[in-house]
Amino acid sequence: MDTIKKLFRLKNPYDQERSEKLFPAAIKQNCIFHYEHNPAYRALLDGQGFSPYDKNAFDDLAKLPPLPTLYFKHHLLLSVPNRKLIVRATSSGTSGQNQSMVGLDFYSLRRAFDEVRRFFSYHKIWSLKPTRFVIFGYEHKFKNKKAVAQTAWGFTFTAPAVSKDYVLRYRNGDYIVDLDSIERKLIKYAKGKLPVRTLGFPAYTYFLLKQMKEHGVKVRLPKGSMMTLGGGWKQFYAERISKEDFYALAFEVLGIEQENIIEFFGAVEHPILWTQCKYHRFHVPNYARVIIRDVDDLLPLPNGQVGIINLLTPMCRATPLTSVMTDDLGILHENDCGCGIRSPYLEIIGRVGIEDIQTCAAGAENILEGKNDTRTRKTL
Amino acid sequence: MILAHGKLYENKEQGAIIASLKAAICETLNGPKLDTEEVILACDRLSKKAEGGAFDEIAKPLLEFAQVDYATYLDYCRMFSEKELRKKLDTELCGLSESETKISEHLFRERRPLGVLLHIAAGNVDALPAYSVIEGLLTGNINLLKLPSGDNGVSVRLLSELIAECPALKEYIYVFDVPSTEIETIKTLAGLSDGVVVWGGDAAVRAAHRFIEPNTKLIVWGHKLSFAYALPGCPDDMLCSLAADICKTNQLLCSSCQGIFVDTDDEEELRSFGERFFEILKKENQRYGKAPRGMRAKNTLKLYDDKLENRDTIFAGEGVSVVIRSDSELELSYLFRNVWIKALPHEKIISALKHQKGYLQSCALFIPDGDTKETVIESLKRTGLTRITGPSLSTMLFGEAHDGTFALREYSRIVDVYR
Repeated sequence: MDTIKKLFRLKNPYDQERSEKLFPAAIKQNCIFHYEHNPAYRALLDGQGFSPYDKNAFDDLAKLPPLPTLYFKHHLLLSVPNRKLIVRATSSGTSGQNQSMVGLDFYSLRRAFDEVRRFFSYHKIWSLKPTRFVIFGYEHKFKNKKAVAQTAWGFTFTAPAVSKDYVLRYRNGDYIVDLDSIERKLIKYAKGKLPVRTLGFPAYTYFLLKQMKEHGVKVRLPKGSMMTLGGGWKQFYAERISKEDFYALAFEVLGIEQENIIEFFGAVEHPILWTQCKYHRFHVPNYARVIIRDVDDLLPLPNGQVGIINLLTPMCRATPLTSVMTDDLGILHENDCGCGIRSPYLEIIGRVGIEDIQTCAAGAENILEGKNDTRTRKTL
Repeated sequence: MILAHGKLYENKEQGAIIASLKAAICETLNGPKLDTEEVILACDRLSKKAEGGAFDEIAKPLLEFAQVDYATYLDYCRMFSEKELRKKLDTELCGLSESETKISEHLFRERRPLGVLLHIAAGNVDALPAYSVIEGLLTGNINLLKLPSGDNGVSVRLLSELIAECPALKEYIYVFDVPSTEIETIKTLAGLSDGVVVWGGDAAVRAAHRFIEPNTKLIVWGHKLSFAYALPGCPDDMLCSLAADICKTNQLLCSSCQGIFVDTDDEEELRSFGERFFEILKKENQRYGKAPRGMRAKNTLKLYDDKLENRDTIFAGEGVSVVIRSDSELELSYLFRNVWIKALPHEKIISALKHQKGYLQSCALFIPDGDTKETVIESLKRTGLTRITGPSLSTMLFGEAHDGTFALREYSRIVDVYR
């Protein structure tokens, strides 16, 4: 019996009671699959003294050794033959280095479709109204392996698409950022009747909104328009803009109400499309679990405390993404959100190691990358 | 904010000021010489004001940010007292006179400023840009200062106060707010300068090498690496001081210890040394309070990844770690109280360190007095490093040279006159 399939087919994506029973068994099924088909993963678990066949191995999911995202940047771990991969995804880093390499096969993609279908139904994202899509991301090219490009393209099927515009356009083998033409188009679309849906990197969306504000643009996008944000968690911290300010800006410039702004998150190493509730919170769905771990010893912390975010999902069969340790700090909140979803919600606080650091130790600037304000201090 | 001719200007005036800079510089050089005495006395008055608390309202938040205590701030202030500055001039200029001094029957010699210095500053917190300019003034130079990005205005404030103390300085201090990306403007400023003083990491130094013409002197205060060298049996109390220094600085300074080389080639001895130092580091860490959470998390993840990759022997816990590595390369640690331990028998010191050249700075030595100590000191001196210290290697003493040289000497030239 396929517990994973069962878990992904629960009608309500936030079915606490049923998923609580299915989840450990699904993780076990997924873990054993990787253990039996992926010698590298098997060696890793053996090295950490973990056997998926132990009777109590999955009583406590924290015992399953998580793989840090850093590990995926150095290793392509595959549990299915190369020819079975439908998607080979890399993370959205632009440098070409330090990208995680993850593959998805048909089975994993089926689970992804199950999951996304349920998320979108629950959050009322499907629409039959002809819609204009504006993607603050990469123009879709089949050879683009970036997961965000694939996701964004997929999103353009949530409603009948009348047009698709991309901020990152593919010209002569390279991507160029073209905010100006998007600005002109949004102003034009505001005069029409068709709803507009935007999707993409929060940072680009923010830059455009800021630019439009500077140009004095104040329009109202047609009724039913929606702004969705996703494709990486990092950009928001870099901008240091509060979500409230962002929502206010979106309303001022495009007339989009706060409840029509939906944020997603996911990662190449954790391809679950977490979707915010109407109060802008990321509730734990059936398809994932969160363990918050202590920053010093990686032991699990009780809810409400800040630690490193460890994400689990049995979704992927091609790559052992069963338990992944992210580079982010977060808190799992247990209190009632009020939106109707009963599961705890995850607050992402920011990436590890972003500090306002002064240094004059040789090479330290590169190690401390990711911070905004590089201050360099020199001893006298 | 721009400072020129003793006045503050908006950034938009920058182009016009730079356009007339060459003429202004020539006019200053045609005028009276800058009197070092006046500079010293102006600094002295300013330092007394600072000691008296006149700048507390700007200094205190910065001290808090940089985790520097007030006593250390007062020490810094005293560096600019008349007494200390005279000592600095005497030491660094090695008695070279500002007026012609007879060397031999026909040869007379005097020290002159390089002329015009462009300071490309990094770091705004400790008012370092202003410090760099003051060193330029002490040697009589006209100073052009390019502020670091995100400067908080402290340097301009300090330099304005200095001009108020000594109005003659107003034609000797120019402060510009040029982003590092504006290469053409920086090139123009460098073209007007006899020397370019660069503070910063490899990227800044490389950039300077690219835009400076061959007839301009480049003075680099670059980033450095420091380490400790110990005998396997060195006593705990010495290592405690080293651990304290590591915790205090979070290994972020040029002079902070990144790791410990142990005089051994025995793996077991190295391991037990590492284990012993880990216990000591944990203890000191408790005394100093933990490093920032985000940094601890970052290191914990790196060490966890190392563990999965079966790299190194790792002792980790409570936010500190000691990693035993099998090579003998001097390298940056993970920072924030994470130390590497490597074997380096003393006869291999030169071959292991020589190629690090200009990155070498301090070595804290943990060897009892005796022949080995002297041999090690001699080897270390030959590698190219510039400081050999006791356990607290980041503590600086007044009168120390800076990265193996004297700034004032670098900012001066010698003029020989035959009469």
